[in-house]
Amino acid sequence: MANIAVGIDLGTSNSCVAVSQRGRVDVLPNAFGESTTASVVNIGEDGSITVGNAAKANIIHDPLNTIYSSKRLIGRYFFSDEVKKAQAVCSYEIVEGEGKSVRIKVRDEVFSLPEVGAMILRELKSIAESRLGQPAARAVLTVPAYFNDNQRQATKDAARIAGMEVLRILNEPTAAALAYGFGRGLNQRVAVYDLGGGTFDISVLEIGEDVFEVLATAGDTFLGGDDFDDRVIDLLADEFMQREGINLRNDAFALEKLKVAAEDAKKALSLEDEVDIRIPDVIVGPDGNPRSIERKLAAQEFGSLLTDLLQRSFKVCDEALQQAGVVARDLDGVILVGGPTRLPVIRQAVREYFQQEPLADVDPDEVVAMGAAIHAESLSSEDTESFLLDVTPLSLQIGVAGGLTEPVIERNTPVPIEQTRAFTTFKDHQESVAIRVYQGESREIAENELLGQFEFGGFQTGRRDEVEIDVTFAIDTDGIVSVTAKDRRTGQEASTRITLSSGLSDSEMSDILERGVADRVDTTHRPAPVVEADPPVAVEPTPTADPPVAVVASTAAVEAPELDELDDLLPDPDLEMVPLSDDDLELEAPGDSSFFEKGEVELTAAAPIETVIPAPLEAPVAATVEEPGDASQATTAVAFIGADTAPEAVGPAGDVASEDDGIDLLLDEDMIAGAELDFDDLESVEDLTGASDEDPEALFELDGRELSDDDGGA
Amino acid sequence: MEPTEIKALARIIGEIDYYQLLHLDRGAGSGDVRKAYHATSRSFHPDANRHLEPDLRQAVEVIAMRVSEAYAVLRNPRRRQAYDLRLQQGSGVRIQLAEAEALADRESVAEQGRTPQGRQFYRLAERDLRREDWGSAVRNLQTALTFEPDNRLFADQLAIAREKLR
Repeated sequence: MANIAVGIDLGTSNSCVAVSQRGRVDVLPNAFGESTTASVVNIGEDGSITVGNAAKANIIHDPLNTIYSSKRLIGRYFFSDEVKKAQAVCSYEIVEGEGKSVRIKVRDEVFSLPEVGAMILRELKSIAESRLGQPAARAVLTVPAYFNDNQRQATKDAARIAGMEVLRILNEPTAAALAYGFGRGLNQRVAVYDLGGGTFDISVLEIGEDVFEVLATAGDTFLGGDDFDDRVIDLLADEFMQREGINLRNDAFALEKLKVAAEDAKKALSLEDEVDIRIPDVIVGPDGNPRSIERKLAAQEFGSLLTDLLQRSFKVCDEALQQAGVVARDLDGVILVGGPTRLPVIRQAVREYFQQEPLADVDPDEVVAMGAAIHAESLSSEDTESFLLDVTPLSLQIGVAGGLTEPVIERNTPVPIEQTRAFTTFKDHQESVAIRVYQGESREIAENELLGQFEFGGFQTGRRDEVEIDVTFAIDTDGIVSVTAKDRRTGQEASTRITLSSGLSDSEMSDILERGVADRVDTTHRPAPVVEADPPVAVEPTPTADPPVAVVASTAAVEAPELDELDDLLPDPDLEMVPLSDDDLELEAPGDSSFFEKGEVELTAAAPIETVIPAPLEAPVAATVEEPGDASQATTAVAFIGADTAPEAVGPAGDVASEDDGIDLLLDEDMIAGAELDFDDLESVEDLTGASDEDPEALFELDGRELSDDDGGA
Repeated sequence: MEPTEIKALARIIGEIDYYQLLHLDRGAGSGDVRKAYHATSRSFHPDANRHLEPDLRQAVEVIAMRVSEAYAVLRNPRRRQAYDLRLQQGSGVRIQLAEAEALADRESVAEQGRTPQGRQFYRLAERDLRREDWGSAVRNLQTALTFEPDNRLFADQLAIAREKLR
């Protein structure tokens, strides 16, 4: 029997599976006839696993053993903000796993996030198979466009654990555009406003018949419908605190009731102008009497709770439109994706921002899965007519000296793509370099996501301006990044596919596959005690749901890890094969003035500077590289070494004024050659990369005569 | 796309310029560039060639990467200008995106130019370079440099012109 390829939208709150056969797209409903299935997992006492709305019904009864919104955690580092935030609001236990990864602990069993994802995927696979009557082990999975490589890899791992082959990881807004435009012969420019449960994405696409070209994508992985719920939860909890002096947030059961009430209220407000929120017996007071919450919430008041969140989304839209080089009124259509976009308050805001009525002919909950299904069909058919030209949503950068990064592939560059930049060693006779790959838009290492790192050694050593290492980044159509380092003089090479630093090692993966959690998912689809979402009444928990004990261990008060924990990921100098104390592992872009702008390295103040640029007219060696306030706008001087490239300067257009003052930004190599960099005091690579968090104000100001740093130095 | 064609193109990919790769005239407008990108992708996008043998798929990937690069350069007027200059100078058929940005920044410095005279003589020199009149280019660049002695772009161009003259 044919193994059919399906499209799966693995959402933060709800998931959906669809199939496209001979151009006809169908959403496959679950056993209860619902087109979407809650992305919630409940672990039973006997270890059995329930997924979907049946599991969701347990959020109130069994909050400690019910995992929801796990997509917010997948592919994250344990110390990330998002994990801290989840720890504050989630009642299940979030613990740290190997390599700063995140794990969820339920009933003394510890699950990785890909395993949790696999449980949901197994449920969806089973839904598809029971509807189609044939195996459905191949799929196109969607992720938020703004997911970084770690999150994408972890999502792929989830599929593997679930026993599925991933044909493609597709961006959600792109999928939505496919569902909208496929087979319609359109020639349009559209925006996809995708506000999901946990993330916000905006993509601008050009549809030319059957070619879907993504012009630009931007997003915010910290903004979603869950945040709207949180606003309502905060409102209710704060009012209750004021009235009763009891903090409901400290009680897992009460918190879950608030959560359900908030979500139901939000949904009801898609249809009604006002809802009654009633939470009887939300908690038992110190006097032993139960307390309740009763309150009306009007759409207008709800809207006012969301104003700043919506403004945030429009700021991201500004960015995407600008990158795409279009203005709102140029757009032929605005496609809404995600359950929260059903809210009238959001539709209204979107209408105003884009100056047009958003398209209403696509179901915001199903459109992504449908697009994924369409793509799955065209990827499995021999003669695919339609195809996607996608971009990389985040810049790929390389770590350079001074705790900074240097972009190699800018965001919104079409993929597949390969780009090479040349670097030199940080100091003379350095024997190896650490090549660290980051994703993100900041020039600060700490503000970007570390994708992976590898060490490149054995090249021909020499003076730092003699060593020429070409670092090549490639991104394929699956968005998978690979990196190659090459010694230009000897041709010696080392390469790696970026390995997931926050995810699963091969040995962990094989343990997980052996453990087979996905097989424990109960897919028999017994009729479940689904909580009816009856709009006007937010919550009606059954009496048995009331916790006999009011206070459960707080899940909120978790110590926030220090910001500099990223540094812990850096190799322990003692464990390295090469002596790191001296042969520092940092690379620098030759002539990268950014190195001078910020860093811990001491430059001797009176360092002689020799000019080796073969310029016919000797330019005075004078560089003032001023650090603008915004690090991302920082002036950058970059040199490309090699026969076919010339040293050059990079700087935002706004900075050219400084060059008009007779300032030469091309110092690059000369600077480095002339300045003495004193590393002897550096104990380890942390001393360099930790620069930014020790003293963010530590700048190197170069005025040509004086090279000085703050006395913090090395 | 015929396998032999794919292999042949992959072999010479390092020798053809972006315009040749996308089948475009040097003067093509932005709409043409997009159309050409779509049309070329139709032949070389890895998704359209999933069913090929592994070695052919690899060749397709190499071509597709260069097609993306060509598009990323030619659709952006700043990068395209920097690239055109490179072609004029005969110093390569490829440009890294970061490099193009860097060159474009330098170019915009020159355009804004501190002195009208420097700008004027640089324009003349540009014309000379296009005509491959190296002697005149050297003279004009030298003159331009007398007005803006520290203009690196002028200096670099002068070095190139001198090299050609020799």
